[in-house]
Amino acid sequence: MVLDRSPRLDLVFHALAHPARRAIIRQLTGGERNLSELAAPLKMTFPAATKHVRVLEHAKLIRRRVEGRQHFCRLEATPLKEATLWTESFRQHWEAQFEALDSLLDEMKSEERARPRRS
Amino acid sequence: MNTTSSQGLQISTPTDTTIVLTRTFNAPRRLVWEAMFTPDRMRRWMLPPPGLTMTTCECDARVGGKLSVAWKSDEADPVMTLRGEFTEVALLEYAVHTETMALGSGQTIGSLVEKHQFADQGAVTAMSITQTYNSKEDRDGALASGMDQGMEACYQTLDALLGERS
Repeated sequence: MVLDRSPRLDLVFHALAHPARRAIIRQLTGGERNLSELAAPLKMTFPAATKHVRVLEHAKLIRRRVEGRQHFCRLEATPLKEATLWTESFRQHWEAQFEALDSLLDEMKSEERARPRRS
Repeated sequence: MNTTSSQGLQISTPTDTTIVLTRTFNAPRRLVWEAMFTPDRMRRWMLPPPGLTMTTCECDARVGGKLSVAWKSDEADPVMTLRGEFTEVALLEYAVHTETMALGSGQTIGSLVEKHQFADQGAVTAMSITQTYNSKEDRDGALASGMDQGMEACYQTLDALLGERS
């Protein structure tokens, strides 16, 4: 357990810990969206969606600009390539298993060489 | 979405409910199959979640054959189980099995169908695992599971990414 995390990282993790906010980020990877466009697929009220947008904004993951009565959001954290980030620990888990499998297969090949099978 | 590592692991999401893992192994197909579906071999590569120890590992890769894995922690035995059944098997070619993860209490965590396919690629064997989940939410949940658990690996990735920003 690492306790001395930066407050910024805490904010980012808090922001990403909700499925609705991850959905918003995913939408924004497609480009700038206004608030109603973001709220629509979330099946939630406009104020509820706005609340999630504020959390993301606070974590500096998105930026909001106002144009007339429209609020447009865009992804601020370009290095946070969501797909890579989301799949990172999934990928690492499988890669670790496959590396163990590599070693096991090497051993199995050596076993076979030591004890040639009769055909 | 496609991510490739230097070791050749490819992860893709061709549909809303699937994850496909593809990787090559430097061994004949017969050995890869044996490593994947023989309990004594599986114990070697099926890495337990952090803090858990594998107690049971049963696998009978024939149609109708059962798959059963259990893990214990210091607090509970079992703390988590994986149970499934093989529904389609063509020896050394492909195998399909169901898979349900549950807590020791019996409460289901999630279920999916896994299809393993094996193919010769010159001297190496290409294996693909297609995981099919019940819904997009379940699929995304599996992909993001490490994220929700706040795994250290994820923190490190984020640290690196945030480092690039500042």
